[in-house]
Amino acid sequence: MSEQRRSRRFVEREQRELRRELLITPFPELGLVAMNGPNDPEPALEVRDGRVVALDGRSEDEFDALDHFIARHGMDVEIAAEAMAIDDVELARRLVDVEVSREVLVRLARGLTPARLARVVALLDPVEMMFALKKLRARRAPANQAHVTNLKENPALLAADAAEAAARGFAEIETTVGVSRYAPFNAMAVLVGSQTGRPGVLTQCAIEERRSLQLAIQGITTYAETLSVYGTEPVFVDGDDTPWSKAFLNSAYASRGIKVRFTSGGGSEALMGHAGGCSMLYLEARCLSLVRAAGSQGVQNGSISCVALVMSVPAGGREILAENLLAAWLDLEVASGNDAIASHSPIRRTAKLMGQFLPGTDFVTSGWSVMPRYDNMFGGGNYDADDIDEWLTIQRDWQVDGGRSSFRRSPTQRSRRQRTGSTAATCPIATEPRTSSPPIVCSPRASADSTSRVSSTGAGSPTWPKRSSVCNASASPRTTCRRRRSSTRRVR
Amino acid sequence: MAFDAAGDYPLGTRRPDLVRTPGGLAVDELTLDALRAGQLNGSEMRATAETLRLQAEVARAAGRPELAANLGRAAELTAVPDEVILEIYTGLRPHRSTSGELEQLAERLEREFGAALTAAFVREAKEVYATRKLLGPDERAAPV
Repeated sequence: MSEQRRSRRFVEREQRELRRELLITPFPELGLVAMNGPNDPEPALEVRDGRVVALDGRSEDEFDALDHFIARHGMDVEIAAEAMAIDDVELARRLVDVEVSREVLVRLARGLTPARLARVVALLDPVEMMFALKKLRARRAPANQAHVTNLKENPALLAADAAEAAARGFAEIETTVGVSRYAPFNAMAVLVGSQTGRPGVLTQCAIEERRSLQLAIQGITTYAETLSVYGTEPVFVDGDDTPWSKAFLNSAYASRGIKVRFTSGGGSEALMGHAGGCSMLYLEARCLSLVRAAGSQGVQNGSISCVALVMSVPAGGREILAENLLAAWLDLEVASGNDAIASHSPIRRTAKLMGQFLPGTDFVTSGWSVMPRYDNMFGGGNYDADDIDEWLTIQRDWQVDGGRSSFRRSPTQRSRRQRTGSTAATCPIATEPRTSSPPIVCSPRASADSTSRVSSTGAGSPTWPKRSSVCNASASPRTTCRRRRSSTRRVR
Repeated sequence: MAFDAAGDYPLGTRRPDLVRTPGGLAVDELTLDALRAGQLNGSEMRATAETLRLQAEVARAAGRPELAANLGRAAELTAVPDEVILEIYTGLRPHRSTSGELEQLAERLEREFGAALTAAFVREAKEVYATRKLLGPDERAAPV
């Protein structure tokens, strides 16, 4: 049709953000189906002499590594006989029955196979899922996790943002790196900033698994969440791990007193090309059964970095909510995503958020950028500094605890100035280029005073001095080596 | 006072008398003053096997046996040096170790560190890796 004859309304609508998105029809063979996939196995469990010998359509000699792990560590065979005998609809009804307690539901989930778990939650509509999720939340009150990064990876700015995040009520703070050798510096800056903002906030640095463990061992991070698992064996092995190596990591972190949460999420198997023809929700149910079997206290899930793919298929948003619900039903603390960009459309993004926001998950967002978008090194997030007032207003509208608190402007500024000042005082690497510690802020003229000032009045990294990347990168191994030696010295 | 796994959590606030650092310091001795006086270092800011075993009891009493099992393995690993932890982790990654190498890791865990639970866990991995072709390059194609 010629341009003149087309409706102007249609032409203008084509400019909307939503039109930048791809919405596809299901393609189950590639795993591009949200839930109730035609190739998902029939739920089944066979136990012989206390040993699981068949699980969801596979006998023991056909088990892959995930089946073996779930069969050995993740099924309570005594409860299974009772739980597997209850039919799907009855289980689904109990999830939304106000008279059936969390305790009773969590116990039953211990005896349900992954295929069964997926099938039961898929029977609920979104409002029912939200109600069940509210009932099953592990933590007493909802909380949130913040992302703290900046383009220049300036540690004093990291500390200031971490302090602000802590003061705003974020319970956990995650940072990452652009230059991998900066990891110990960034982790230290966020640790110092957060603790001066509000003691007890936990911090982590998202990097490669082995390096992440090193930082935790050195005591620079206090929790880890990068223990990613996947719902099929080829993708798991592609991620360079097995259920046993991940579970060992879990114990290793715990041995050093570090909190651990695994990460999984629908769509990852399809994205990595090995979904085995199964639905996203069924594969996520396998992940979650495995996470609990490995003895994790919690999980970050709800598609996470694959959210755009899941939102492209029908029932994508519903599938993500179902994943969060499954995790809570399996007695896991849930950090429910809402971190990576779910949609270009602000309306669609908020609509998706309500699934987790209204019931209030353990961590409604597992990464809210406390900084302006350009400083978010996690590839740009769903929400950032400019959206904070909207969040608070939505809490006010619904009278719902979304895990966030507000405060007046002046304490924020004071908080930021104090934190950068204290970072400078307690963390010589931040501003003291002439000591034996590695210099981080490249300009020797950047005094603690001027750094504090810019931290309390600036918006983000553009107003900050550059760091000396060459000398920082070469100092990184020194920092870790020195710390490692001191950590083996005994006291007294 | 006897430990009550159902009521004494969190240990740090309800039963600080039961929590010690690896060097034997009590929780209230972990102060900034002690740090400034050079009486503390990173190795003191760690969980001990005893604390982790109490945490495991709490988890078991709360109906979380898998979490308890993890904390039981963690208690064993407190005795294992950082370098060895990283070595075992690498060894358990796919296609890194032969079945003999995994067996050696398990024996070492038992012999040097008395880590029977973790050793059994490594042996279980060895058995599954053999059936799933996840052993090291030399054994990847080996018959089951």
